[in-house]
Amino acid sequence: MKRTRRRWAVTAVTAVLGVLVVAQLRSQAATPGLSALSAQELTLVIANVNTRNEQLRAEVDALERQVATLTATLARGDSATGQLRFDLAAIEAWAGLIAVTGPGISIRISGDIGSEGIEGLLNELRNAGAEAIAVEGVRIVPGTVVYGASGALSVENTPLPASFEIEAIGSPQILTGSLTRSGGVIAQLAATNPDAAISVTPLEAVSIPATERDLVPGDAQPSL
Amino acid sequence: MSTFLERMRALPSWQVTLTGALFVLGFLIAAQLAAEGPRIRYTSQERTPLIETALGLQRRQDALQVQILELRAQLAALEASEPGSEAIVRELNAALDRARLAGGLVQITGPGIVFRFEDAANSGSVSDGLVTSHDIRSLVGELWLAGAEAISINGERVTTATAVLDIGNAVLVNSAYLAPPYEIRAVGPSDLYERLTGSAGFVDFIRGRVEPYGLRLSFAELDDVTVAAYAGTVRSRYARPDPAASATP
Repeated sequence: MKRTRRRWAVTAVTAVLGVLVVAQLRSQAATPGLSALSAQELTLVIANVNTRNEQLRAEVDALERQVATLTATLARGDSATGQLRFDLAAIEAWAGLIAVTGPGISIRISGDIGSEGIEGLLNELRNAGAEAIAVEGVRIVPGTVVYGASGALSVENTPLPASFEIEAIGSPQILTGSLTRSGGVIAQLAATNPDAAISVTPLEAVSIPATERDLVPGDAQPSL
Repeated sequence: MSTFLERMRALPSWQVTLTGALFVLGFLIAAQLAAEGPRIRYTSQERTPLIETALGLQRRQDALQVQILELRAQLAALEASEPGSEAIVRELNAALDRARLAGGLVQITGPGIVFRFEDAANSGSVSDGLVTSHDIRSLVGELWLAGAEAISINGERVTTATAVLDIGNAVLVNSAYLAPPYEIRAVGPSDLYERLTGSAGFVDFIRGRVEPYGLRLSFAELDDVTVAAYAGTVRSRYARPDPAASATP
């Protein structure tokens, strides 16, 4: 009798232990980091992921339409070169391979500011939905980085003048709003770089050139 | 001493087993608490549905990304089968292939480096011991300057439209939620690592940020690094091809 009770005690403890070990392993595997966020931060994650999902859904719809139209055109035996050209132009415009134009903003920067500040500004522009960005006429694409200390900034081996311009295409209202909001990137830069002057001007038309970089990888191969 | 050993031998085996089990239990609880580190644990009840919602949306996002990649492959196959004037179609398809490759819409494999970037092991309550979006942007920037041709952060391709933002103690890349440890993959020339470690900017980043705060940055140089394709939207709402500019370079 006594022995049975002991066995039950050992069984109970090891069972609890097993459950705990599994729970620990699963919690680590399933949601890394999410459980460490506050309710406010989680709301922000949800808002961001939600917005992205809407964009992805729109992309899926557009691709499905493209596939359907192209399938129909080819089934009729018609030429689809017009559609191919349209698809090509959309990708080239997005990737920075051709010059683009549209509404947007111009940011004039002068004074004491280093490359970190400029990269922060570019990051915020992308976050606010900028579709094309140029720094002093140089299109910003993957691989194009503004570097150097204050007073010696460069982009693509070209030194930037003391006063230079960043142009971006996107909603002038949204771009201006997110840059200049209180506590936003320009307010932060003003606090850390008191000797820099940054002004934002919304514009109806901004023209941004194509990149001069060869963006097709030379050292890597497409893979499935 | 001998009496202690005798008493030990006299103990029933189940008590020894129980003691052992309780030891492991205590160890697990301590490990769990220690693993929390500087990441604050919130306990409010309202968070559980929020986490569930975030996870559900994240799963939806993964599914949408797969769907986009499949549709793109389907479209590319259809475009390649266009029966019109051969020379024009061949030229257009070649241009499309180049544009997709240049824009990061294609997964690529080549020589490169894989970094693992983690918070400091004993960062305690010092937030400087956490890897921030700024740290990731610095590393990515140095990799570009060293000649990297394609970069991804935990499977999210860095494109012309990619922003890296802080969210709590994690980051958002292409609006996708990524938690540490961060795996940053870069493909580029075979001497990418030499170029990177030889640059003043990278040395400053290691000496001024990584080492003083104990951030853990490890790497492996590999012959075959695969960088994922960008599975997001490439449609512009505001930007249009500029007819005033000269033809495609």
